[in-house]
Amino acid sequence: MSNSTNSGPYNYTYIFKYIIIGDMGVGKSCLLHQFTEKKFMADCPHTIGVEFGTRIIEVSGQKIKLQIWDTAGQERFRAVTRSYYRGAAGALMVYDITRRSTYNHLSSWLTDARSLTHPNTVIYLIGNKGDLEAQRDVSYEEAKQFADENGLLFLEASAKTGQNVEEAFLETAKKIYQNILDGSLDLNAAETGVQPKQPMPKPVSNEAKPSDSQCSC
Amino acid sequence: MEKEPSTPEIQTQQNTNLNNPISRKLNKILESRIENDKELLESLKTLSMFFPENSIRSRRNLRSDIEKRSLVLNEEFLGAFRNVKEQLDDISSIIGSMSECSDNMLTRLKQVKLQTNELISKTNKLQNEKKDIDNKLKIADKFIEKFQLQSDEVNFLTPKKDGSLHPEFFKVLEKVRTIHENCKILLRTNQQTAGLEIMEQMAINQEAAYERLYRWMQNECRLLCSDTVEISDFMSTALFTLTWRPILYKYILDEYCNSRRNAIVKLFIDALTKGGPSGNPRPIELNSHDPIRYMGDILAWIHQATASEHEFLRSLFRKFKNNLELESSIKSSLGVIMDGVCRALRVRIEQVLVSQQDTILYKISNLIKFYDFTIRQRIDESCELIQTLVEMYQLSYKMFLNSLNIHATRLLDKIEPPNFELLPNEEFRRTLTLIKDIFDSYNNSVVSVNTKKDDYVQILDCVIEPMLQMCSLSAVNLSAIDMAVYMINCIYSIHSMLSLYEYTDSKLEKLEAQIDAHLDTLCNEQAYFILSKTDLLDAFKIIQSHDKKVRGPLVNVLGMDSNTLKSAMSKFDIYLAAPDNLIVSQFNLLLGSSIRLKLKQKSVRLVSDAYKLIYDAITDPENGYSNSNSIVPRTPDQTLKLLS
Repeated sequence: MSNSTNSGPYNYTYIFKYIIIGDMGVGKSCLLHQFTEKKFMADCPHTIGVEFGTRIIEVSGQKIKLQIWDTAGQERFRAVTRSYYRGAAGALMVYDITRRSTYNHLSSWLTDARSLTHPNTVIYLIGNKGDLEAQRDVSYEEAKQFADENGLLFLEASAKTGQNVEEAFLETAKKIYQNILDGSLDLNAAETGVQPKQPMPKPVSNEAKPSDSQCSC
Repeated sequence: MEKEPSTPEIQTQQNTNLNNPISRKLNKILESRIENDKELLESLKTLSMFFPENSIRSRRNLRSDIEKRSLVLNEEFLGAFRNVKEQLDDISSIIGSMSECSDNMLTRLKQVKLQTNELISKTNKLQNEKKDIDNKLKIADKFIEKFQLQSDEVNFLTPKKDGSLHPEFFKVLEKVRTIHENCKILLRTNQQTAGLEIMEQMAINQEAAYERLYRWMQNECRLLCSDTVEISDFMSTALFTLTWRPILYKYILDEYCNSRRNAIVKLFIDALTKGGPSGNPRPIELNSHDPIRYMGDILAWIHQATASEHEFLRSLFRKFKNNLELESSIKSSLGVIMDGVCRALRVRIEQVLVSQQDTILYKISNLIKFYDFTIRQRIDESCELIQTLVEMYQLSYKMFLNSLNIHATRLLDKIEPPNFELLPNEEFRRTLTLIKDIFDSYNNSVVSVNTKKDDYVQILDCVIEPMLQMCSLSAVNLSAIDMAVYMINCIYSIHSMLSLYEYTDSKLEKLEAQIDAHLDTLCNEQAYFILSKTDLLDAFKIIQSHDKKVRGPLVNVLGMDSNTLKSAMSKFDIYLAAPDNLIVSQFNLLLGSSIRLKLKQKSVRLVSDAYKLIYDAITDPENGYSNSNSIVPRTPDQTLKLLS
């Protein structure tokens, strides 16, 4: 009766809060849907305000529940969506590689993200619609340079084919987890966007530090 | 000697002697061969032992000797046999006693045998009984197994020292329940007493177990006061098990909700006042100077908390079947959990509302409406949070309308005539900007289309009528033209603003009609102005009212002679050459080129219509103009072409 066969979705060590931001129509909701349902949602309607999705992943043997807030890209919702940056552990900033305007707006999104989140919030830049190579308007190198200059992680992904979608979400989680390990994220305080299920033992910093440099993610 | 003849003779003799006993005897003797007769030899030997000398006496005594001897021998013999006889007698007596003995034994054996038979039958009987009893035992064991708890199972039902429950708890409880169920079958058989007793016992067990489960859950629930909670499988199972006891189930659910409600209240206040660790993220209240941001942050926090609590509840209810009942259960529990924040939320919203005006109020009311709509999807609609949001929305909207009304009354308070530009006054324009702001915020807002439509109508009703009233009132002392121009300008500015937005169609239609009415006035004025400036007005009026049957041809009417008409027509010609020179001066003050164009077209039509009337009258031979062509050189069509 009380065996663990169906306890899967309820068994996790941390909750990480993510927020997905970016211009209208870059495919934020589709990325989320691809990540949570592993399906591409064609004809996705515009998001009203914010939507919410969850999935449990595993990082270094730890079960982590991702609580993902998908915001509306439309300008008129900016006032509403700004309130959701609060306490996000990860921010996925999305642009559309086939529309330069969405890339040009990144700096304004980045300003928002930087000013409204924790300094340790991991910001991941995602160039979506990577499957539409023929219509490419923003080169990989250019975006990569932008990411490097601003200290962002960067990937090109495709919500349609699912390529790199998992990676983006997982690597963000890995980075956050690493921040926990090396102690830059204090879990015993609320609103870091990370919630441990049990009070965390303080990590041994000597042990965690080296992993910072040899990290592959 | 004769007895020994020759052989043939002997034979014959023999035959003759056969019947003679003596001869026979003799023969016999003769024939006997003593050396061959052992007996005789033995006897003789024996005889020789006691017959030492062959004397007469001895011969005489021989017989007696032998007899004596025989007697002695016989006596010896007798003596010997007597012994034998005695011994045999002994044996006989022994055998006799033996026989007696065995007879005895036999009878005893017979007796024993009789007795043993009884025993055997008894044993058999007992054996059968034993078998029966064994069977009964087996049945009883099975019965006990089915209808009673093992001692360790009873232990599972009692909590451990630290208050925790044994992992087998639910299994045993389930068994108790099954037994209790099965007792009903017992009651249907003839085992009613047992059934009743077991039922009672199980009921006691069950009650005790539920009681313990309840206490355990109560404790667990009280521990759930951190920002996140982990619901163990065990706990979910426990809750599910408690559904058999609806009252306990309800209490536990209440307990859970209470714990979470307290936690949420604490977290909410912390987020408002303390923020994250070392102030990052910053406390929400730091933004209280920016009402929209402040309200947005608060409501977003509540939305996110609702989502998280919803997840926790889902996890709490994961052992339940997924159905509508569960859904409503989750929704109502969420309602209870979230109602703790209502007071703090209400106080803060009210505080913000009282210090705000117009557009901000409107934006806040929209924000509240949006979150009402968003949160409503997860939570019970009758819960206090939703009620609070609805009330706060109503309050903010009411305050917004109030502030609009204040604007409107302020408009009507300060009525002053328009200046020479005939444009709407400052207050009017400010109100217009306000509506524009409001409608713009609508475009940026998140409420549904239906609300938008209703709101627009309400807002317009609230403001547009007072604005129009104000215009009319401030225009009372103006000339007709001034008033029309002023009214058109006012209405036009409203119209042009409204036309940018949706759902204003009916209002726009009404405004257009009003503009048209004033425009008609202006057209008439313009036409009148042109006709009077070209001196055609008198002629037009005369022709209009002229009845040739009564008063004869026109040419004879005063002021309708050819010369007067000619000079008027030449003036009209000058007008035709440059129509723009003859425009009522105030018309230049009209806002909106489309209005001006419309006015021009309409007045041109009026003028050309008037011209046509004059032309027709003059070229009518009955009116007696001999040189009509020189008076009106242009046909009405030509005139119209020149004017348009």
